[in-house]
Amino acid sequence: MDLLLQQIINALSLGGIYAMLALGLAIVFSIVRLINFAHGEIMTFGGYGIFLAMAFGFPPLAALTVGIGAALMMALAMERAAFRAMRGADVVSLLITSFAVSEILKVLFQNGISARPVPISFPASWSGTYQLAGMNIGVAPTVSILVTLTSLSLLTLVLRRTSIGMAMRAAAEDFEMLRMLGVRANRVVAVSFAVSGLLAGVAAVIWTAQRGSVDPVMGFFPVLKAFIATVLGGLGSLSGAVAGGFVVGLLEVLTQAFLPDGVSPYRDAIVLGAVIAILLVRPDGLLPAGDGSRS
Amino acid sequence: METALDIKSLDVRYGPVRAVRGIDLMVPMAGITALLGANGAGKTSTVMAITGVVPVTSGTVSIFGRDMTAAAPDAIIRAGVAISPEGRRIFASLTVEENLILAGSAAGAPETAAALRVSLMERFPILGERRRQLAGLLSGGEQQMLAVARALMSEPRLLLMDEPSLGLAPQMVDAVFAIIEELRNEGISILLVEQNAALALEVADHAVVLANGEVAAAGAPANLTGEDILKSAYLAA
Amino acid sequence: MKTKSILMASAIAALAGTAPADEYIIGVMSAQSGYLAPYDGPAYAGFQFCIDEMNANGGLNGTTPVKLIVKDTRSDIAMGVQVVQEMIDDGAEFIVSSADADPTIAAAQITAADMIPTMTFAGTAPVLTQVGPHVFGSYPADNQQAAVLAVYAREQGFENVWLVKSPDSAYTLGGPEYFGTAFSTLGGNVVGESNYSLNQPDFSAIVTTIQGAETAPDLIVTWAWEPDFPAFIRALRGAGLDTQVMGGDVLDTPTVRGLGDVVSGVIHTSGGYPDEGSAYADFVDRFKAATGTEPDNNYYVNGCDIAHMIEQAVAAAGTTDPAAVSEAMAGLENGQAVMSNFTFAGTDRMPLRDVVVARISASGEKEFILRQPADLAILPAP
Repeated sequence: MDLLLQQIINALSLGGIYAMLALGLAIVFSIVRLINFAHGEIMTFGGYGIFLAMAFGFPPLAALTVGIGAALMMALAMERAAFRAMRGADVVSLLITSFAVSEILKVLFQNGISARPVPISFPASWSGTYQLAGMNIGVAPTVSILVTLTSLSLLTLVLRRTSIGMAMRAAAEDFEMLRMLGVRANRVVAVSFAVSGLLAGVAAVIWTAQRGSVDPVMGFFPVLKAFIATVLGGLGSLSGAVAGGFVVGLLEVLTQAFLPDGVSPYRDAIVLGAVIAILLVRPDGLLPAGDGSRS
Repeated sequence: METALDIKSLDVRYGPVRAVRGIDLMVPMAGITALLGANGAGKTSTVMAITGVVPVTSGTVSIFGRDMTAAAPDAIIRAGVAISPEGRRIFASLTVEENLILAGSAAGAPETAAALRVSLMERFPILGERRRQLAGLLSGGEQQMLAVARALMSEPRLLLMDEPSLGLAPQMVDAVFAIIEELRNEGISILLVEQNAALALEVADHAVVLANGEVAAAGAPANLTGEDILKSAYLAA
Repeated sequence: MKTKSILMASAIAALAGTAPADEYIIGVMSAQSGYLAPYDGPAYAGFQFCIDEMNANGGLNGTTPVKLIVKDTRSDIAMGVQVVQEMIDDGAEFIVSSADADPTIAAAQITAADMIPTMTFAGTAPVLTQVGPHVFGSYPADNQQAAVLAVYAREQGFENVWLVKSPDSAYTLGGPEYFGTAFSTLGGNVVGESNYSLNQPDFSAIVTTIQGAETAPDLIVTWAWEPDFPAFIRALRGAGLDTQVMGGDVLDTPTVRGLGDVVSGVIHTSGGYPDEGSAYADFVDRFKAATGTEPDNNYYVNGCDIAHMIEQAVAAAGTTDPAAVSEAMAGLENGQAVMSNFTFAGTDRMPLRDVVVARISASGEKEFILRQPADLAILPAP
C-alpha cells in the first residue's frame, strides 16, 4: 500500500513534467498549427542556463530563475527568427522547419558547450526526505509536484481571468476570427511562445534538479513523451495535453514499478500500446479540441 | 458624397484560384448594401478581403474615405469595421460574457467596454440571462445574437454581416432582420451578405449580385427584383 | 568498385609522391557527435598524440611511420560500417574502432575477410572479441573490472547487492551481471535486480522498488553512464537511501565527480590512476603541455596505449601484414604501456590489465583505493 502510494507520487511528479511540456506544445500548436519539434531544445537551453549561472557563481535559486529566463528567451527568439516568417505555412512545412531548428541547436550546444553531459550540483538539502503518515517521501518529487501544480494553476488563472488569456483560448479555437476582432496576431503568437517557453523552463528546472546533469539531447526524450501526451489528450486541446501528460507519466512509472523483470525491456512498447488502445476507443483523444480546428 | 465602403476593381486569389474578379462595390453612409449570389460566387472572399485576413490581390478598398487596401486586420477594425461572420464563429469554449469582453478588449477602452457590455446585454436579454454559460451551448439563433453583439463591442460604423439568417428558425430570422434595420437606423452602415435574396432586398438600399466572382448586376432593389439576371446568378452554381 | 578505389588511392598516393612504401596506414573510427562522442573524442586525442610522438621519432619502433585516416561515424552503426569499408579501400592495415562493443562488432565483420586487426578504443564488453581472431579489446574488460570490484566489496563486508542494469547495451547489462556472478561466488547474495532503459526519464520508480525490497541491500551496483547515472543517484539519495553505490569505469568522469554531495562515497572501477612519478602522470604532463587540454579521464591515456599495443604487435610480427599483426597481438605477454601493462596471451583477446578501484571524495576528488589484476579463478565467463 505504502509502495503504491509512493509510486503514485513518483507518477505525479513525472507526469507533471510531461504535462507542462505537453501544454507548451499544445498552446503553440493550437494557435499557429506548429508541432514544435524544437521544444526539447528550449528545455535543454534552460538547463544550460542553470549550468552557466551556477558556473558564474549564482546561488542555486537565482540560477534556477536564470534557467527559466533562458528558456523563455529561447522560445521568443525561435518564434521571431524561424517561425514568424513561416506563419500560415502548412503543417508539414512548419514541422520540417522545427526539425531544422532542433538540429541546428543541438549541434550548437554540442560544439559550443560540450558533447558530454555537464554536471549541476544542487545542495544536499534539496534531495532529502520527510515523514508523512509513516511514509518516507522525497523532497524532490514533492517540490516537483507542487511547482507543477502551482504553474498549472497560475496558467489556468491567466487563461481564465485575463484578457490575454481569453485571447489565447479564443485563438486556440479560431485564430482568424480573433484577428477579425482586431486582436494583434503577433502579440498573441509571441505570448503563446513565451508561455510555452516558461513551462519548458520550469520543466527544465525540475528535470535538472532531479537528474543532476545537462547534455545536448536532454530535452529530446521528455518532449517525445510530451508529444505522445498531446496526441493522447487530443491534439490542440490544452486540458487534453495536461491530462495526457499525467496519463503517460502514470503508465511509465507503473509499468516500471510493477512489471516483472523479464517483460521490462518491452516497457516503452507496452506504454505506447496502451496509448494506442486508448486512441482506438477515443480517436480524438481524451479531451478533444472541439471544433476549433477550422482553418 | 462620402461612402462607408468603396471597393474598386477588387481581385482576390487563393493560389491559382481567382475567387473575386475585379468587382466594384459601395456601401453608402448609414445605408444597407446587399451582396447577393450563389455559393462560391465570391461573397465571403470579398468580406474577408475587407477585414484584411485575406490579402487583396489587386484593386482598392477604401473605408470612410481612407485607403485600407493593404492594412492589417487590427488597423481595419480600429477604423470602425466589425464583422459578424458566416457560420457565426463565436468562441464556443468561452462564456457569452468572455466573448464580449474579448471583443471589447481588442477595440475599445476598458471603462466604456464594460458599460457597452451591460447595454448590449439589455438589448439582447437572452445574452444577459446566459452570460455565464459557454457560448457553444447557445442555440443557433442565440449564437447569431452573440455574433452581432460581439461585433458591436467595437462600436463599429461599418458592419459586415455574412449570412446572418443561415440555418435559423423563421422567427429568429425575423428577429435578426429587425436588428439589422434597427442598427441602420442608428446610423451604422451595413454590408449584408445573404443567400435569402428576397429578405435582403426588403431591407437593402442598394444591391450587388455576384456570379463566378464578377458583378452580374447592381442597382436599387426595385430595379433588381424580378430581373432574370438575379435568377440566373442563383442558378449558376 | 573496390579495385577502382584502390587504384584511385594509389594514384593519389603516387601524385602526392610523399608516401614511403613502408608507411603503416591505420584507420580510425571516431564519433564526433552522438552518444559515443564523449568517449571517442578523448580516446582519439590520446591516440593521435602518441602516434605523433612516435612519428617524430621515425614511426613505430623508430622505423615504420604511421599515416592515420580518421572518419566520423556520428555514433551511427551503419555509418561506421561504411567508413570502415572506405578506410579499407584506402589501404588501412589496422582499424581502431569506436569506444563501444556494438560499433566494434559491426566494424569487425567488415575487417574479418582480410583479417585486418581491429581494436576498440574503449569497448569493454568481453563479447566483442568473439567476432573473430582479429578483434581486440584495449581496456580492462567488464568481467575483470567486476571481479576486482566484487573482491573489494566482499572484503569490505558487503553481503547483499541490488543490481541496476539496462539490457540496451552490452556494457550496462554485462557489468552488473558479472559483478553478481563474482559476488555470489565469493559468498555474497544478489537480493534484487532492476532494469532501466538508456536515457530513461525517471528513476524514482526503481528507487521506490529498492526501498520496498524484502531484504534491504547494503550495496547497489550499476554500470549506468551519463545521464542515467546522475539521474539514478539523485533519485536514490533524494529518496533518503544512503546505501553504498558501486559502478563501472564509466563513472570515472568529471561530470559524475561534479554532481556534488550525492556522489560522495561512490566507488567505481577505473583503468588507471596517475600516481605521482608514474608513466601515466608523465603522460598527463606531456599531453597538457602539448595541447593545453587536461586529460581528465582514462580514455586519453588508453588511446595512447593503443598506439603502444600496435607498435609492439608490429615489432613482434616483424611485418605489417594484417593477419600476422593480428596473430602477434594475440600473443603479446606483459606488454609495456602507459596506463598499465597488458597481456593478450592466454586471454580471449580482451587484455588482462590492472584494475583500479577508486572512491569519489566528499569534495568531488578521485581517491585511489587499490590496484590489482582480476583473479582468474573467479573471473566470470563472458
